[in-house]
Amino acid sequence: MIQRLITRIIILAMMWIGLLLLKESLSTQLLWQALIFSVIVLLGSLLEQILHYQGDPYILPVVQAIMALGLVFVVRIEPERLIYKGQAVHQFWWVNVGLLIFYAVLWMIRDYRKLGRLRYLWGLVAVALLLVTLLFGSTAGGAKSWLNLGGITLQPEEFVKLALLLFMARYLEENEELLRVGTVQWGRFSLPDWRTLGPFMIMVAFILGILAAQKSLGTALVFYMLFVLMLYVVTERALYLGISVPIFLMTGTVGYMLFRHVRVRVMVWMNPWQDPNGGGYQIAQSLFAIGGGGILGTGLGNGIGATTVPAASTDFIFSVIAEELGFAGAMAVLVLFLIVVIRAFGISLRAKDRFGQILAAGIGILLGTETLIILAGVTKLLPLTGIPLPWVSYGGSSLIVHSILLGVLLNISNATAVGSHSTKNTKNKGKEYAT
Amino acid sequence: MRGVRRVALGMALSFFILSLGLVYWQVAQADTLLENPANKRLILMENRVTRGGIFDRNGEIIAQTKTTNGKKARVYAKDAEMFEPLLGYSSVTLGSSGIEGSSADWLLGVKNATPTQAIQQLFALPRNGDDVVLTLDSRLQSLAYNALKGKLGAAVAIDPRTGEVLALVSQPSFSPTTLEETWKTINEQTGSPLRNHAFSLFPPGSVMKVVTSAALFRSGINTTDLYESKGSAVINGQTITEQNGKAFGWVNYNMALADSCNAYFATFGVQAGDKTFLSTTKGFGFGQKIPFEFNVPTSSITNAAKPKLPATLSTNLLAASAFGQGEVLVSPFHMALVAAGIANHGVIMTPHLIERVLDPTQTIAFEQKPQPWLNALNKEEADKITSAMVSSVNDGTAAPGAIPGVQVAAKTGSAEHPGEGKTHAWFIAFAPAEAPRIAVAVLVENGGTGGGAAAPIARQIMQEALSQKVGDK
Repeated sequence: MIQRLITRIIILAMMWIGLLLLKESLSTQLLWQALIFSVIVLLGSLLEQILHYQGDPYILPVVQAIMALGLVFVVRIEPERLIYKGQAVHQFWWVNVGLLIFYAVLWMIRDYRKLGRLRYLWGLVAVALLLVTLLFGSTAGGAKSWLNLGGITLQPEEFVKLALLLFMARYLEENEELLRVGTVQWGRFSLPDWRTLGPFMIMVAFILGILAAQKSLGTALVFYMLFVLMLYVVTERALYLGISVPIFLMTGTVGYMLFRHVRVRVMVWMNPWQDPNGGGYQIAQSLFAIGGGGILGTGLGNGIGATTVPAASTDFIFSVIAEELGFAGAMAVLVLFLIVVIRAFGISLRAKDRFGQILAAGIGILLGTETLIILAGVTKLLPLTGIPLPWVSYGGSSLIVHSILLGVLLNISNATAVGSHSTKNTKNKGKEYAT
Repeated sequence: MRGVRRVALGMALSFFILSLGLVYWQVAQADTLLENPANKRLILMENRVTRGGIFDRNGEIIAQTKTTNGKKARVYAKDAEMFEPLLGYSSVTLGSSGIEGSSADWLLGVKNATPTQAIQQLFALPRNGDDVVLTLDSRLQSLAYNALKGKLGAAVAIDPRTGEVLALVSQPSFSPTTLEETWKTINEQTGSPLRNHAFSLFPPGSVMKVVTSAALFRSGINTTDLYESKGSAVINGQTITEQNGKAFGWVNYNMALADSCNAYFATFGVQAGDKTFLSTTKGFGFGQKIPFEFNVPTSSITNAAKPKLPATLSTNLLAASAFGQGEVLVSPFHMALVAAGIANHGVIMTPHLIERVLDPTQTIAFEQKPQPWLNALNKEEADKITSAMVSSVNDGTAAPGAIPGVQVAAKTGSAEHPGEGKTHAWFIAFAPAEAPRIAVAVLVENGGTGGGAAAPIARQIMQEALSQKVGDK
């Protein structure tokens, strides 16, 4: 109990210190929102006590720390440019709503296994969402991945992540044996037959195809990694990993030859210094900001990346963090994300049923790949593909979806712990009788 | 559950690689990124940091940032035009150049901060940059600027004993105060005021003979032997002519340098051979990067091998190179270093422009110590060249460089060049010849003869420098 509260108080204290350092950009509205955030965080931890939460104790505080950091930086970046105006208040709104949804998912879902029953519906929802975006969506930042619904702009591909995870988990659970062993012999390898693999492949092709058509290359890459790694996790067959590499290289090469924007991305990645004020501008500015941070950073509010780096509050927020908090702060962010990812795999390993295991692993894979792809992008380890950094980047869709994912993950964790606890109790009771 | 464990391990490994990426950019590459010309962060940092001042060696203010009504403004000395383009500029719209650019890390206080300083700086706002004290002497600079005004060219004065740059003028120049308004006209002006002519490459002409001299000694020629100058000579089918076709009669080495006899140096240069000649030029810093606060283009002997030295030279090219024609290119700054090397008994000191850096509390953050750069000559060789350069002043082409009461050693040059107009006038000198305190190189582009156009400027600079009391800074 005490420990729970203390961690939350430390997290909130850090957020408030950050906000007060940026006092010039604080409005009353923002202060109220920050207060609401603090209340939700504290009440939430009391609620855990009252309702006997027994799941993973580290993930939620760590994610709340990540959220608090993100909030401070969105507030920090807001005054730098006109296009960021209003983002801080919005982001607080989304985080607060996200936390409420998280607690709703955590406590309202009695049996997460029921989520899997509607698997084809989830698959359909995923495809439908993407199709609607492709047809009626609006373009921003080169990708047609936004949907305008009466004043609110949604990014449907974020919600697709949720639908797809549920569909995949259920599908893989059902077809595990067939996928693992395979029924069709092809040379030295035995592959699953078409009836088993068919729905999966169609789904994969459909979703990746639509994303490519939207020019959402980053999200397509996340989904591809998700498909491949989940398949591997369930079947434990290196064959699937082996096949995925040539497929990826082939699609990549075809895309490179067919589409100009892919070629530009790759060229800019290979040598951004050739044209640092044109095509290489984004990545060059990102690296200037990151490099300018040095070991200890410039200090909150002192950096210049917030002004120079494009999309500083969304795709490139990590560059600003790495500049102002330095290598030390950037490593701290990396470690926080790594903790969440590894603990998610831990939940997967402990879960009692296969669906829960697969779903938890899927969430871990999703969070891990998202973080890795955007962070590798802004540090020029991979070609840059703009996707949000979970819980940190400005954006309601991403925040809400990742809050739901967090809720599902901790729901599985809690159910596992409660389940094993009660069985242990009965065992003990039996022993009591025996002695 | 092996699959989950392996994927988890893979993720952890990927995060580790990511952290190595951070180490690469934030630690290993941090300085390289800062120096990238597309990186405007140092200029933008100005909004948060009060840029340090720039002072000359006597403490006179050259540039300073003043805050009035919360607005910072860079204020330059009234006569700051004489320091341009060396001083450079720093502006959000135009970028930065010169000392303002290359010393920006000092001026903004972001260089060499110790970890404790770095932490202190995080909490110290508004921040102050360091003050940079230059080795330049405003009086010499002003003199050289006025002497060269209206011409195209450069003048460089160096203390041969320490490598301190005492004056560095490039003409035409511009006013840093009105730079933003006059940017367009400055860019269109002939002679490109933004380019530092002291750091640009030109054919040296006869001033190169002081370098060739060392090659002659090393090939074992007897400097007292006589050679008959007939106004022109044919070497390997190539005709070498004297300036104005003048015949000097029988000359020894001293007289040949004093009269600037091309045929003498071409003939004995070829006799010395390309290997000796090239290794001698290398000893003087040709084909080598000059260690300096600024990027000075490397002097070269042939166009093909530029900026490195070639492995061999054809006889004809060697003959022409021996008196500084052919494809030889050298900067006035480098020529001043050559003069300084001869003056300093053959040792060229590492040149420097920043004397010391003072942090906001006026404690010394950095201080330059004199360091030798090259051993161009041994003492005997240096003495021989010095005495020939003395002859040149007393009894030769460099006579206009003479100062009453002080023995000057000098060499003239009138370099032919591919462009239009008269020859480039060169003059390198040092004084007093017996214990040199100043070495200069002056170049007047299209100025005609070295003795006529460049020597008077060099003489004025040396006279002013030597009139200051010893030890008077």
